[in-house]
Amino acid sequence: MELSRVQIILILGLVALGFRAVPLLFNAGKKFPETLDRLLRYLSYALLCSIISTTLFMKGARFEADAAPYRALALIVAVVITRLTKSAVTGMLVGMALVLALGWMR
Amino acid sequence: MSFAPRFRQGMRAAIPVWIAFVPSSIAWGIAAQDHGLTLTEVLLLSAWVYSGPAQFAVLGPLASNRSALQVLIAGSLMNLRFVPMSAALGPFFRAVTRWHLLFSSQVVSASSFIVPYLQFQKERDTDNGARSGADGYGNLAFFLGVGVTAYSIWVVGTTVGFGVALGFPSGFDEALKFILPGYFAGLLVAEMKGWAVALICAASLVAAVPGALVSEGWGWLATAIVIAVSIWGLEEWNFRASKSS
Repeated sequence: MELSRVQIILILGLVALGFRAVPLLFNAGKKFPETLDRLLRYLSYALLCSIISTTLFMKGARFEADAAPYRALALIVAVVITRLTKSAVTGMLVGMALVLALGWMR
Repeated sequence: MSFAPRFRQGMRAAIPVWIAFVPSSIAWGIAAQDHGLTLTEVLLLSAWVYSGPAQFAVLGPLASNRSALQVLIAGSLMNLRFVPMSAALGPFFRAVTRWHLLFSSQVVSASSFIVPYLQFQKERDTDNGARSGADGYGNLAFFLGVGVTAYSIWVVGTTVGFGVALGFPSGFDEALKFILPGYFAGLLVAEMKGWAVALICAASLVAAVPGALVSEGWGWLATAIVIAVSIWGLEEWNFRASKSS
């Protein structure tokens, strides 16, 4: 069965509500194992980095080889700027400016 | 303490969260419009799913009409982190009815979790446990002061971002494409601690593209799961080995 985008969003929200509500309603007072907590954090870090990579370097099923080097450079610069300024917004803005400038120069 | 003053106390404590939510929500709204989502879909995602990382994770797959299962797995894996957050907050809401907890749980997010949690812990330590948990509704008021205001800013911010993107001149596609990856990379770097997280991030960044080339829909997801579980397993093994020696 094909689901519409709105239906997918509704199911996704319902699952998210379950993750938020069930421990509050039925598990209050019980300690969540630290090792599982860490695994969940690691999963979200890995997924975020994978999405960053595919969003920047892929278009559909195709690797954007011509744009990849300057986007990678912009990402590295954004990360370094964030590290130095401790501001993700500043890093993002510098990276955006760089990716625009490099894109126009090509 | 009654509900209203405690709610206001939560609001004041949430000001740094609001400041963080304004750019990220606007960035997400811009990216969502750029991906071709409608305003209704953007509002539904922000108000009903209400999770920046999950919204980022599903944006591409949703916009390119990938399989529903893939979108749901990617988003839900990201949202699994709500389980330990809610479990940690639970003990501070003693005597609160289940209906009130159910409605309040919608505003649990990473940022609206950490501010009340640290506050409740501090109060428990200073009051020798007199307030923690015992004042369940007072704590809930503080939590809602943080959560409801942050939630409102997130929803309004994404709508503003959507509107802002409509006014972007053409030729800025490259910059729009960079907004969310650049911002989330920055957030990750800001909170990165220890070798395991750095290794997970580096390995996932490198392996995602080959994974997606093998299988466009599932490759990046599978590589991310394998990398996270492997490094977690390695760390656990290392930890147990050092404990037993």
